[in-house]
Amino acid sequence: MMDVARDVLDTRVVDRNGREMGRVDGILLDHQTGRPLRLSAIVIGPAALGDRLHPAVGRIVRRIEQRFGLDRNRPALIDFADVDSIDDKVRLRLTIGETAVDAVEQRLRAWVSRLPGAQ
Amino acid sequence: MRKIFNLALGIVTSIGGFVEVGSISTSVQAGAEFGFSLLWAVAAATLFLAALAEMAGRVAAVSRQSMAAAVRERFGFHFQIVPLSAELVIDTLLLTAELGGAAIAVKMLTGIDFEWWVLPVGVLGWLVLWFGNFSVIEDGIGLLGMVTLSFVVAAWRLHPDPGQVVRGFAPSVPHHDVTRYAFLTVSIVGATVSPYLLNFYSSGAIEEKWSQQDLWINRSTAWLGMGFGSTVAMGCLVTAAIVFGPQHLKVESYEQAAQMFVPVYGRWAVALFAVSLGIGCFGAAVEIALNAGYVLGQSLGWTWGIDRKRRDVSRFVTAFSVVLVLAVAIAALGFDPLRVTLISTALTVVIMPLVVLPFLVLVNDEEYVGRHTSGPFGNGILATLTILGALMAIVVIPLEVFGG
Amino acid sequence: MSALLRLDRLIGRAVHTANNRRLGRLEEFRATRRGKDWIISEYVVGTAGLLERLGLGVRLILGFKRPGGYIVRWDQLDLSDPDRPRLTCSVEDLRRG
Repeated sequence: MMDVARDVLDTRVVDRNGREMGRVDGILLDHQTGRPLRLSAIVIGPAALGDRLHPAVGRIVRRIEQRFGLDRNRPALIDFADVDSIDDKVRLRLTIGETAVDAVEQRLRAWVSRLPGAQ
Repeated sequence: MRKIFNLALGIVTSIGGFVEVGSISTSVQAGAEFGFSLLWAVAAATLFLAALAEMAGRVAAVSRQSMAAAVRERFGFHFQIVPLSAELVIDTLLLTAELGGAAIAVKMLTGIDFEWWVLPVGVLGWLVLWFGNFSVIEDGIGLLGMVTLSFVVAAWRLHPDPGQVVRGFAPSVPHHDVTRYAFLTVSIVGATVSPYLLNFYSSGAIEEKWSQQDLWINRSTAWLGMGFGSTVAMGCLVTAAIVFGPQHLKVESYEQAAQMFVPVYGRWAVALFAVSLGIGCFGAAVEIALNAGYVLGQSLGWTWGIDRKRRDVSRFVTAFSVVLVLAVAIAALGFDPLRVTLISTALTVVIMPLVVLPFLVLVNDEEYVGRHTSGPFGNGILATLTILGALMAIVVIPLEVFGG
Repeated sequence: MSALLRLDRLIGRAVHTANNRRLGRLEEFRATRRGKDWIISEYVVGTAGLLERLGLGVRLILGFKRPGGYIVRWDQLDLSDPDRPRLTCSVEDLRRG
């Protein structure tokens, strides 16, 4: 048995190759009347963190992401079917490239790479 | 053998960034106004800091997560946003003060107004962070920081009365200006137990890849390192006490403070004080900026690390760069670093209970410290310190108003 | 009818009994594997106060277990209104946790 709030929420996530993907910023549950809740998806992204503080904060984060063209497929929703195992980290069957988790990092990398010594 | 060398290096380099604008200004004022009688406050604050650092290192070595990461995971983002935001505000203010302090040091050496030096100092700091790695930064700052031993040497050469010095380590109530005394006590704690030092220390443990086998290194580095660093603050206090004490001088500027080196170093007094102040502040500035990157990256789940290729940690790089730029902008406005330090030390004390309480939980949670949980003795000390911290948090603002 | 609920909006919600008495707060969701899915088989409803919920209570530090608390099976909790979870059974039918 797994304690979802304690052991899944806010835990580190790694992809199939062990690359860090961030932390579980949110969890979505599938609710059908007469059936137990089912873990539906993991949410990764600053908008999800914003939502947890206050809906207005989540909206502001989304608007900023939109403004910079970073809102496609974000916050990233990762189906629980793509979770391989959960121990001290959440280990996925996907690779990071199959999600939009890295969008901000990649955008900033374009700038940072231009400076000498970035390698 | 190599581990012993690294341990010795770790202890010695703890000096870098330990003595900076906050501890120098509080030590000088404490010595000038109250003689040796606040030595116990420096010692107590150092013990508090060392105990917390050891715990932060223990959590990092066993759970392989820094304090910020462990707090996010154990308490959730909703809790963490409060100490995180507070720490970022305090760190920015403190960084501003350190940049100002380093700029003042250069002014003392060149005569050119300190506002002009803020940008060059900031740029130099950024270059160190951009091109350096953890060992270079830590060891480099630490070894350069040895120049601050000039405070210890000065105190030694002034031949303080050993009996009086020892009495200074016993808490006492002063004959005059109790409010000011209380204010300086709280300021010394705030200047010593900076929240950035704790997360920085635990991040360093991760950068150096400490594991459960290194817990003895962690204990030694935390206690001996902080202890070694505190001798400089004490040396500063003792020197100020002997040189300024007799006149109960209120020291209002760093230029004034530099005069305390005259009896010992003669015509080298100002230069040596400036170099000590400058290196201490610069080292702290680099660490604070780096820590802003650490704490944001670890809390929000970014890739981070000063040993990694910069392009692989672009958000982390952006974070420490933005914080540096912000602090340079504020410092260049010309705020008196002494005043900015007072505000940031007061804020540090106010949020201290919120910073310490997670420690209390984490060092008792086997998930984070394995079987190396805190015993009842350790918990007792932590609980006492938390209560004292809460009391100080309540009185610090009124004290700042009436005693600052 | 299927709906997607956010975990963080449910955690911490007050749980009421069938006759509107406050039982406690939803503190934890316990999941078990069923085939390829993870389903929430039971909930932990805690009666502890704020400080104790964060684990900062003196009891915890001294090593005692948390006071109070109920284990609620998935079918004993009605989440048709996610903002107001309520028991579908009586308090006596609950396991103590």
